[in-house]
Amino acid sequence: MSIANFHPNDLLAILPELALVVLAGVIMTMDIVLAENRKRLLGLTTAVGSFVIIAAAVIFSQPNGELIWGGMISNDMVAFIFRLVFIFAGGITALLSVDVKGVAHKGDYYAIILGAVVGMCFMALAADIIMLYLAVETTGIAGYVLAGYVHRSSRSAEAGLKYFLFGAATSAVMLYGLSLVYGFTGETNLTAIASVLASGKVGISVILASAILILVGVGFKIAIVPFHFWAPDVYEGAPTPVTGFISTAAKTAGFAVLIRVFITGLTASEYWLPILVALAALTMTIGNLLALAQKNIKRLLAYSSIAHAGYALVAFVALSELGVAATVFYLMVYVITNLAAFGVVILVSRSGAGEEIAGYAGMSRRSPYLALAMLVAFLSLAGMPPLAGFFGKFYVFAAAMKAGLVWLALVGVLNAIIGLYYYLVVLKVVYVSPPQEGALAIEVPRAYSFALVILSVGIVLLGTAASPWFEWALSAAQGIF
Amino acid sequence: MEAVSAAQIIFIVVALLTVATTFLVVTVRNLIHAALWLVATLFGIAVIFVLLDAGFMATVQIVLYIGAIAILIVFAVMLTRRVMQDVGPQSNENWWLGTIVAAVFFAAISTLLWSIRWPALPGAVVGDTVLALGRSLVDPNQYVIPFEVASVMLIIALIGSITLALPGKQSE
Amino acid sequence: MSPVIGIVIEAIIKSALMVFVLATAFAYLTLAERKIAAFVQVRKGPNRVGPWGLMQPAADGIKLLFKEEMVPAGADKVLFFLAPILTMIPAMVIMAVVPIGPDVELFGRSIRLGISDLNVGMLYILSVASVAVYGIVLAGWSSANKYSLLGGLRASAQMISYEIALGLSIIGPIILAGTMSLQGIITAQQQSTWYVLWQPVGALVFFLAGLAEVNRAPFDMPEAEQELTAGYFTEYSGMKFSLFFMGEYIKMVAVCAIATTLFLGGYLGPYVEQLPWLGILYFTIKTTALLFLMIWIRLTLPRLRYDQLMAFGWKVLLPLALANVVVTATATVLLG
Repeated sequence: MSIANFHPNDLLAILPELALVVLAGVIMTMDIVLAENRKRLLGLTTAVGSFVIIAAAVIFSQPNGELIWGGMISNDMVAFIFRLVFIFAGGITALLSVDVKGVAHKGDYYAIILGAVVGMCFMALAADIIMLYLAVETTGIAGYVLAGYVHRSSRSAEAGLKYFLFGAATSAVMLYGLSLVYGFTGETNLTAIASVLASGKVGISVILASAILILVGVGFKIAIVPFHFWAPDVYEGAPTPVTGFISTAAKTAGFAVLIRVFITGLTASEYWLPILVALAALTMTIGNLLALAQKNIKRLLAYSSIAHAGYALVAFVALSELGVAATVFYLMVYVITNLAAFGVVILVSRSGAGEEIAGYAGMSRRSPYLALAMLVAFLSLAGMPPLAGFFGKFYVFAAAMKAGLVWLALVGVLNAIIGLYYYLVVLKVVYVSPPQEGALAIEVPRAYSFALVILSVGIVLLGTAASPWFEWALSAAQGIF
Repeated sequence: MEAVSAAQIIFIVVALLTVATTFLVVTVRNLIHAALWLVATLFGIAVIFVLLDAGFMATVQIVLYIGAIAILIVFAVMLTRRVMQDVGPQSNENWWLGTIVAAVFFAAISTLLWSIRWPALPGAVVGDTVLALGRSLVDPNQYVIPFEVASVMLIIALIGSITLALPGKQSE
Repeated sequence: MSPVIGIVIEAIIKSALMVFVLATAFAYLTLAERKIAAFVQVRKGPNRVGPWGLMQPAADGIKLLFKEEMVPAGADKVLFFLAPILTMIPAMVIMAVVPIGPDVELFGRSIRLGISDLNVGMLYILSVASVAVYGIVLAGWSSANKYSLLGGLRASAQMISYEIALGLSIIGPIILAGTMSLQGIITAQQQSTWYVLWQPVGALVFFLAGLAEVNRAPFDMPEAEQELTAGYFTEYSGMKFSLFFMGEYIKMVAVCAIATTLFLGGYLGPYVEQLPWLGILYFTIKTTALLFLMIWIRLTLPRLRYDQLMAFGWKVLLPLALANVVVTATATVLLG
């Protein structure tokens, strides 16, 4: 791929990001102008704006597969899919925030979410390590603020600080790795780096060292073992909509970086591949085993999200078109499903039932529709057919088998069974345990029912009609090999 | 081995001083002294920029890091006089583990850096480097997008830090 | 004599002269301030030592030299000693890039009237100015005195805040001249006109922010005597005190000299091309006029309250300076 010269049409390629920045400005202005009792509009505007931007992106910003803006960004299909996912996740998160105490009526909260989405979009787009690092930092800083947003609550403050310390340390290590890459290749563009590596002038040890250093930064973002220690504490302490956002969109953005750096850039895969394979197996197993013991629903989802990063990594290490397509598809499914799960968690903790799993007892009798949404989300997380999660896992394991990693696929299947167990335990509490005396129906504001309906329909749709979506991901994956 | 030039000697001295001050930053117990050693470190880095013929970067290093960031650290420390003197233990029972990891990392990285045949630079920019730098930041065929993303990042950081620092009305 | 040695000798002589001139300027600036204050307040002012009190600065200097040096108990001795030096050095070196006249012929060599002409001269000034705050902060902290600490805190907050406006206000002349060299900016003014006409807002912001940078009235909160005794140098006496004193006045001179260079055409004036030495005279007259303005303001305006000071810096000066940059840049692009 060569670098295209600037053309005014290139502005259309980054139209979604430009629109997101403008939207953030609009939100900040509305925050000043609106009366206190109409501040609910802030979240709704963010959500509606995000969905409009998705529509506009589909119409105007179809990718052409070129390196544009001086080779800084790669306008390809993989990036396009990821960006739509991020903007969607941002919009849903805003929608799920409109009635959450402490964040709902704050314009800056929504503006920072939008800023984080911009950062993630550029993480997916980045074709240059300078661009990449700036995007990672943009997302990171927004994430630290969001996690610690309710700073009067000591748990949220702790979450913010912990996220920040881990993030700062790992991104410094990653920056060191990137600087090594620049040092020994003399290039910052990932495609150019790949061609220097292909010339064989660079030693093994150097590639391996920089790959490991970069993996520290990316590993933190996607929360794989052994860079996962922050995840449970941060997920538990952060405001729940933020937890949903970080655990879905930020993780997906990390995978986008993984694909960029390790498939486009550091092409000498034979050196670093064994490490990633081992990490994938470890991540799935440890994530699932630790999830078994959890009593708090947010911690449970935290460990489950670690395990899910492991599954996505299984597809990635196949290092094939099928593998990348399976990763992308899996992440699409994961984002939608996990957002739905967190939507339910938000509503339950709003009703005063807390975040302990015991508080979900008898939810099916108190709020049958909400329980149904939870059933759909958790079964999809567990990978039950015909929901989206099943096909996600199916493609992942298929990609691994095809790449000859049969044992890894087997470990994955075993893990899926462990996962099924703890998801079903939660569902048992929801459907079988009797409700507490005098428990009322859980209040579901209209914005939330709207969001949950979209997400549940999405889960069913990506499951029952999986192949067109997967074809889309596959066509995207073909663009980067 | 080739003869060591004067510039190399200066570099080695400055680099050693910079590393030494960095060590002091993390070991002295008085917070203000630590902050001042940090200033010394940053100044050493500015000198290294000068040795690399990057005068602009050197002045920017001084204006931003010494003149703005480090002074804010000093400022913040001065507001918390009570915890100025750190009296607790400076390490925990895992210190030997950290030492081993650091030593192994240092050994690995330094052997690595020694072994690389560094590629030659593509040729220094001729003429006014400040002008070239300024143009490249707004050139759509160079760094305009990273530049703008950096500004988005800084605005988020600004909004975020105000949000976190503001006591805030208890509106809800 | 090899040319390198010649250049070194030239630089040493010029630096020594600069230090001497600045020290003298400091001495007589204090006298001038007292005389003008006396005039404004309808009294006579110092008139006993020498004719018209002209020897007063010398007497003051001797008095300060013989004062006892005090170091308060509980002070951080090294920093306490270092602080006045750190205040003096930036004040002295900041003038190094300011040309005080055109090139002149002397002993068969062409000599630049100014120590150095960096191509990033403006950045040099900014970086030196940004380091200057350390002396004050450290003085405040190391004295182990509440007044000093508060004065140091106020000073650092104020200087950091106004530095941004100061930095933005010099961008106007840089854009117009297309260079960061001070010599270049003067040459550009020779071709058009004094930049105060093109950049009235920039000049105003620079002057006000400069006043705040050197902690002069009405921005002299860090040393507000009614509240803080003497602010950050409460505990200082003798030579250390006089270094602070000197630093403040030399910084005044520096701000006025830089303002002259950026906005008033520096050493430019009638017949300066034929008679280069006239440049020094013009430069001195312009700088002195600005210094007079500074003293006049001090004698006329009351001190701002601390919150008013910060609000003025962040909510008035900074947006004004930003708008000035935007307008200047846009106009330069549109009008060529």
